[in-house]
Amino acid sequence: MPPINFLLQGNASTELIYSFIIIICSLMIYHATKEMYQLSSYKGIKYFRQAFLFFAIAYFFRYSIKFLLAFFDAKGILETSPMFIGIISLFFYLYFTSMAIFYLLYSIIWKNNSKNSRRLFYIFNIVALVIALVGIFFTGPEMPFILNIILLIIAFIVLLTNQKDYKKKKERNLFIIYTLLFIFGSLNIIDILVPDFFQFFQMALYLASISIFMIILYKVLKRVGD
Amino acid sequence: MGKRAKLEIMKDILEIIKKNKNSIKPTPLLRKSGLSSASFKEYYVDLIRRNLVKEVINKEEKFIILTDMGFRFLERYRSIVDFIEEFDL
Repeated sequence: MPPINFLLQGNASTELIYSFIIIICSLMIYHATKEMYQLSSYKGIKYFRQAFLFFAIAYFFRYSIKFLLAFFDAKGILETSPMFIGIISLFFYLYFTSMAIFYLLYSIIWKNNSKNSRRLFYIFNIVALVIALVGIFFTGPEMPFILNIILLIIAFIVLLTNQKDYKKKKERNLFIIYTLLFIFGSLNIIDILVPDFFQFFQMALYLASISIFMIILYKVLKRVGD
Repeated sequence: MGKRAKLEIMKDILEIIKKNKNSIKPTPLLRKSGLSSASFKEYYVDLIRRNLVKEVINKEEKFIILTDMGFRFLERYRSIVDFIEEFDL
């Protein structure tokens, strides 16, 4: 069966705080760039914002049920239909995380692919749906694991081919941040699909993921506040 | 013409209007912008659509002025360009 135990495992409060910080960071990035987009209507900013909106939605689904359990004592929800809630949450988490990664990549490469944008968005949706469906229908973790590794490799190749001048400090920093973001995005998915995979390093994974979102938020606020 | 160049041209047009005491007729604006009339028309329509400039009629003559959003665009232009460069958008 699908790994619904991601709703039940681990320390609920740690995971709630973790997802809450990621959601807040993502929404702050989305909100802080609103005026820039309204003034410029620049498509790169639009895709960048949407990527972080998708991250916020993904993390909302990841632990929304835990929030209900922890603060509203809504255990009845899980008792009546645990599989359904687990599957729905997992599906949306996988779908929106994949979409966030695609949109962040597209925010970088859209200038060279604006003629194919409609086709690319169809492909993004289809691939994200496939990843989400594989995540909920495959009994073992191997297939979702392989799909995520493939997604990670594709993201890395796109980043690498888009790298214009690695010697430029600014571009090198962005390349490193996005690479880490994609790696930790994938590790978070694996963390859900393979419950004991990171049992000793889960806290390190959470801290690293939060640090990356914080760095991006800091860079955004620094520019927005100029 | 790259996409970032488009933002720069928009900024240049808005600056011409601002430097002209925020009121200029379409023909001098076209001349000062250095664009072809077809290209200028495209930008002009786009600027009105985005609510960065608007047309006003004064003594039966048409003038172009900046809106509040137009002024805000000029204020924020440097930040927008820096942000685009920072994240390679």
